[in-house]
Amino acid sequence: MLLQQIINGIIIGSSYALIALGLNLIWSITDIADFAQGGIYVIAAYVAYYVVTAAKLPFILGWLCAIVIGGGLAYLIERFLYRRWTGKSRIQLLCAIALFFLMANLAILLFTPKAKIFPAYVQGAFNVGGFTVSFQRVVVLLVSAALFVVVFLFIMKTRMGKAIRAASQDRLVAQVVGINIHTVNSTVFVLGGMLSATAAVLISPLYAVFPAMGDLPLLKSLVVVILGGFGSVAGVLVGGLGLGLAESLGSVYISSAYQHGFAFFVLILVLMFFPKGLFGRV
Amino acid sequence: MGDIKLTADTLKPVPVWRRFLVPGIILILLILVPVFASEYVVYVAVLAIIYAMLAGSYDLTTGYAGPLTFCHGAFYGLGAYASALLTIKASFPFWIAFPISGILVFIFAFIIGYPALKLKGHYFAVTTFFFGYFVYLVLLNSAKLTGGPMGLRGIQAPESFFGINFATLQGSYYLTLFFAVLFLGFLYFLVNSGFGRMLVAIRENEDLAEATGINTALFKVLAFSLGAAIAGMTGSLFAHFFRLLHPTTFAWMTSEMIVIMALVGGLGTLIGPIIGAFIVTFILEIMRFAPEYRYIIWSLALIIILIIEPAGLMGIVRRLQRRKR
Repeated sequence: MLLQQIINGIIIGSSYALIALGLNLIWSITDIADFAQGGIYVIAAYVAYYVVTAAKLPFILGWLCAIVIGGGLAYLIERFLYRRWTGKSRIQLLCAIALFFLMANLAILLFTPKAKIFPAYVQGAFNVGGFTVSFQRVVVLLVSAALFVVVFLFIMKTRMGKAIRAASQDRLVAQVVGINIHTVNSTVFVLGGMLSATAAVLISPLYAVFPAMGDLPLLKSLVVVILGGFGSVAGVLVGGLGLGLAESLGSVYISSAYQHGFAFFVLILVLMFFPKGLFGRV
Repeated sequence: MGDIKLTADTLKPVPVWRRFLVPGIILILLILVPVFASEYVVYVAVLAIIYAMLAGSYDLTTGYAGPLTFCHGAFYGLGAYASALLTIKASFPFWIAFPISGILVFIFAFIIGYPALKLKGHYFAVTTFFFGYFVYLVLLNSAKLTGGPMGLRGIQAPESFFGINFATLQGSYYLTLFFAVLFLGFLYFLVNSGFGRMLVAIRENEDLAEATGINTALFKVLAFSLGAAIAGMTGSLFAHFFRLLHPTTFAWMTSEMIVIMALVGGLGTLIGPIIGAFIVTFILEIMRFAPEYRYIIWSLALIIILIIEPAGLMGIVRRLQRRKR
């Protein structure tokens, strides 16, 4: 029971961490708490769902379509909306929240509020120490881990990654040394959109596809970003897994009705003692 | 902050009669509404006045003091449930439960706001978003107390007072209007007092305000809690008018609607959010035939307002005035 809950917690936590990774990059570079990623998450899940069920294409193609749509939406939103208000972070935040509601409600209109069952992409399960773990959950875990490594290498090893790190430390100085800040912005938004889309596609076969599916992952990923601190990949990982564990253990040992409220408690507690987040470097 | 250009009400003294011209006309029209309008219009007008109180009190926190918050609907809900439960479970009369609900919400907002307002910028905004969600969750899940998803029934209308029966639509209309004038008048007095000017100073430059000796943390939390308390008492009025409460009434969308109303009218002007509340409520009613489009249109409207004029209707008015000169 305990082990089962720990595994569940790690899996749900890794999906928070995936969305939070993109959000964290966006937030640390453009100073936008990008609520729109919650909408992209929903739209991407529906795209993958229809590609897999209606068009009867393989799962991997559904994922690819979701990534393209997710990244594309994020690019368009940054290019045509957020960029207008560079430096006016309050308007950007309001716009982000409006976009989130817009996309979630468009999903209700286009796809009806009824929950849809996403077919499992990997069948079967295996036994470990007396309880079963489905292969699907293992896939979620492995893909998340792989993506974390890829993003980490991208940020640490490539030229673009270096530019992103520079911009997250100081936008102005980064521009002075010749970094095109617009390209950096577009890159992190596209990356964020792709990561949110991936998280949606990975996790939705475990639960279901419905218009409000983005609400909780979005809120919790924002908590993870704040917990982890800006510009810290390790912070995102620890924050995401920690929150996932706190939730799944808390729902068993404290109260399942408040499962989604733990994020708020964890947030308030951490901010009381570490106002800059767990791994903050400001 | 300071990126949404707000009114510089310190610029030029406006003659007193002109200041009260627009609110005066609105008030006279509102007093006359039950005389010539149908029951349905009166009913919608009560809701519009309730929203005007919410948007006006939201303006105190976000428009004048500065921090963007997304939990005003939660305070509205807390006040509504507090007042309803006090009258049902503790059989308090409405006239006692009403102020108590305001005091309770004030204390609650103060306790939440004091640590949270130390967070800067978006950290605070996002935290209030969670707080709003958390309150919704508590209202939904403490089913024994609040009825949870079944809703809370059996709320009584306010007891008669001076022979006025508040169980009738007209009675509750005038009751709501009376408190709206009282609260909004209080807010008007507040934002034009030294307190309000200190809030504007904090909004425009918090470091500078602190350097001149203003206890910025205290003033911000006071503005936050006072706005919350008025929202709470508005919730109490709503509870005893509608007499049925459900957690979804106080979920995110309500908080977002309040933000939209304040933005439509123009933050930091007080009259702007009030006018915004009326416009939004009546358009929402007109759109009742297509409920699935409501939130889509409003989200789009918000984005368009931000693109055209982030200072809202009052920003457009000011722009026209400037062109005339």
